[in-house]
Amino acid sequence: MLSFEKKYRVRGGTLIGGDLFDFWVGPFFVGFFGVVGTICTLLGVAMIVYGAAIGPTWNIWQINIAPPDIKYGLALAPLKEGGIWQIVTVCAVGAFSCWALREVEICRKLGIGFHVPFAFSFAILAYVTLVVIRPLLLGAWGFGFPYGILSHLDWVSNTGYQYLHFHYNPAHMLAITFFFTNALALAMHGSLVLAAANPTKGETVRATEYEDSFFRDVIGYSIGTLGIHRLGMWLAISAVFFSAVCIVISGPFWTHGWPEWWNWWLNLPIWR
Amino acid sequence: MKTIVVVFGAAVAALLTLAMLFTAGWVAPPILSTQMGFRGVAMHELTTPAEKRLIAAANALPDAIDKASPEGDRATSVYQNVKVLNDLSVEQFNRVMLGLAAWVAPADQSCNYCHGENMASDDLYTKRVARRMLQMTRDINKNWQAHVGATGVTCYTCHRGMPAPKFVWFKGAPPKSGGFAATNDGMGHPTKVNAYSGLPADPFTDTILGSKPIRGQATQALPVGFGTPIQDTERTYSLMMTLSTSLGVNCTYCHNSRDFGNWADSTPQRVTAWHGLQMVRNLNNTYLQPLTGEFPANRLGPLGDAPKIYCATCHQGANKPLLGVSLAKDWPELGGVASP
Amino acid sequence: MPVFENIFTQVQVRPVALELSVGHDDGERVNVGAFSQWLGYLGNAQLGPIYLGYYGVISCITGFFAIEIIGLNMAASVHWSPIQFVRQLPWLALEPPKPEYGLSIMPPLAEGGWWLMAGFFLTTSIIMWWFRIYTRSRALGLGTHTAWAFASAIWLYLVLGFIRPILMGHWSEAVPFGIFPHLDWTAAFSIRYGNLFYNPFHMLSIAFLYGSALLFAMHGATILAVGRYGGEREVEQILYRGTAAERAALFWRWTMGFNATMESVHRWAWWFAVLTTLTGGIGILLTGTVVDNWYLWGVKHHIAAAYPHMYPPVVDPAAAGAVK
Repeated sequence: MLSFEKKYRVRGGTLIGGDLFDFWVGPFFVGFFGVVGTICTLLGVAMIVYGAAIGPTWNIWQINIAPPDIKYGLALAPLKEGGIWQIVTVCAVGAFSCWALREVEICRKLGIGFHVPFAFSFAILAYVTLVVIRPLLLGAWGFGFPYGILSHLDWVSNTGYQYLHFHYNPAHMLAITFFFTNALALAMHGSLVLAAANPTKGETVRATEYEDSFFRDVIGYSIGTLGIHRLGMWLAISAVFFSAVCIVISGPFWTHGWPEWWNWWLNLPIWR
Repeated sequence: MKTIVVVFGAAVAALLTLAMLFTAGWVAPPILSTQMGFRGVAMHELTTPAEKRLIAAANALPDAIDKASPEGDRATSVYQNVKVLNDLSVEQFNRVMLGLAAWVAPADQSCNYCHGENMASDDLYTKRVARRMLQMTRDINKNWQAHVGATGVTCYTCHRGMPAPKFVWFKGAPPKSGGFAATNDGMGHPTKVNAYSGLPADPFTDTILGSKPIRGQATQALPVGFGTPIQDTERTYSLMMTLSTSLGVNCTYCHNSRDFGNWADSTPQRVTAWHGLQMVRNLNNTYLQPLTGEFPANRLGPLGDAPKIYCATCHQGANKPLLGVSLAKDWPELGGVASP
Repeated sequence: MPVFENIFTQVQVRPVALELSVGHDDGERVNVGAFSQWLGYLGNAQLGPIYLGYYGVISCITGFFAIEIIGLNMAASVHWSPIQFVRQLPWLALEPPKPEYGLSIMPPLAEGGWWLMAGFFLTTSIIMWWFRIYTRSRALGLGTHTAWAFASAIWLYLVLGFIRPILMGHWSEAVPFGIFPHLDWTAAFSIRYGNLFYNPFHMLSIAFLYGSALLFAMHGATILAVGRYGGEREVEQILYRGTAAERAALFWRWTMGFNATMESVHRWAWWFAVLTTLTGGIGILLTGTVVDNWYLWGVKHHIAAAYPHMYPPVVDPAAAGAVK
């Protein structure tokens, strides 16, 4: 344990199970969701290994657990024809949800806000959008992405080119803007705190007034110590949220090339 | 003052949002899909029932014209100045004329569109152009089966009842800017041809009139010299976009985009498309472009060149023109191959 | 019962007068400002003061020149119609010189000369801004971490518009100015060089980009979650670890088995963000110079998966001598 940890290891805060699973294994808190999550993970990983075993290769880059053919629709496919993919997906959704709920239990135990599991839920939402919601709307599990390091990139490439030029997807533009802005804000925040805590040689550590002064000098505004964390969390979550939006509208709600979508702007009555 | 600006801004934002939500042409499930590749590779064609109905309606077939017997006198022995259809009987010759009247000539002009008072006269440009068109149709049906198969084409495939096909192209107009302003290589403006992107607006002149290579990717991992410039790739991309919209398909109809150039990973449709590009280039150079002198000014492009063809001229938004129905099988006069 | 979730400030506090920056008698400062209620809901309400400085002024001027060159050329391309300018603005472009001009520094204005000029002014503006950031850090006695992070971004910018085109021998390889045109360039670049997803540095860059989103979501959420213990006072918590930093660390230790400290999390943050553009720049630099087709490179290095064939063998008709 860390030097200060013992006093925080109290009972309580669990959502399910009370004291039964309220313990730690090493540094990890377990909880009911730790147990269920571990089961989901073990089963899912075992299925992936099985899928690799019946596949052509053990090369980590080439292993591919592919979803079923479209022709199976929303039914359960034979194991070797995409069924493995379906089971892994169920296990993944279960494991991710358990991770989030376990985080909730840890927050309750530590007496802190639920912001972290709240943020993580958006990532889970994006995953579920990709492998559950969008396939449901399109009518077949086969629209989910394959589990494989390079194969999932081939899926991304081809899904993009189904719309001729995916960069023109407006929600994709928004999501990318949020991703890049988030990286910028993270660089700014990380560097500012480090700059204050690691000042020029010989100087004392710089207080918050210096942090504010730096950004006011440079861009005329300093969002402040609390504000930057709100901003960062909002940017990161928005990036993930609009990523989910950009893929769920591609297919179920738009089937043409994405550049063509912009015709609503080009054809506005004021300048048609 | 501040309130007015805020209210105005909010109104503009609201109107734009409404336009975006309700005029963009969103669709909704059910979505009809076709899988083109291995599962999980995401090579799919997507469409909607409404779109399918629209395409079906747009590809309605013309009325059939009664068959003509090849027996009897040759057309050349009865009519004067027959130059192209010399192998046909009189009946067959008349049948072709009926076809032209139904499929090409405007309804109110019919035969007069090409013929003046003297049927034999070549005074009207339309007659002179029609001769070349007949030769072109026979050429396509006989020599380009690698692309049109046994399905073949008739005048209707492109003209669809109109004197000028709906989809033709002209060489790019000169850039709007003048003087020292940048010309941008013809890029930066959305048109139907570049599928409303910023890609080149004229990908045709160099590729399906000229013979600049359409391929551009390297065929080996390590570089051997400079290779294809980005600008040529953008030109090819624009050509491919227009090919896609012309056929109502997306890139994955032919390609696995992880390696566009690879033929082993591509679909058989790509081979057909390759022949299509060869055919269009050949026809533009052999038939269309040389007809520049024949057309009146209102039929020419901004640079004074003749109308030329590309994929959309025949396909008009369908992956097979007329959804794959063969009209030519009933038209041996036009070089059509009878169904087995 | 409503609970405060630390998202929007409930009570905004205003100082009697504008809070002036440290060393406020520095003559270069413009000590004016205002308070914004709406900004105050999220962060500080105060706008201003701002520091002028030689680097800042030069940066703004050269930046303005660049924007003017780009904007006026775009306006010319729609024949100066203000309506068409607004209508087509997302598509409008200022393209680099054609390939035949190589690395000529004086191509015709209409054939890429303006692009070169705009690029030169923009690069100057960015480098001047870097000096602004560096000198302000020094003047306030802060570390120069921000400047070096910015340098990583400038690295990517220079690779894209300057270093790589020079190595390739053609300005035509560089990125055009324009909202949609620069996206067209991105797609064409990936098509030309055999699918950039197979570029390992592209993979690293994306991993760091997504990782940055992950990290800021984690870190932002964590600090907000311990806001009730003063967690956002990070520099104080670094020096004197309080219950905020302790609970923050323990949350992650119990969740994933390890944790950072109040200072080291900012090093994670700094490196992930900086490595995004650093590796990205390397990936761009290697493309076309060292590798001409990333998919084939992937095949060569055994990372490309083999998919079962769905059709009878498809053969290149050109290679089969079928050219008519």
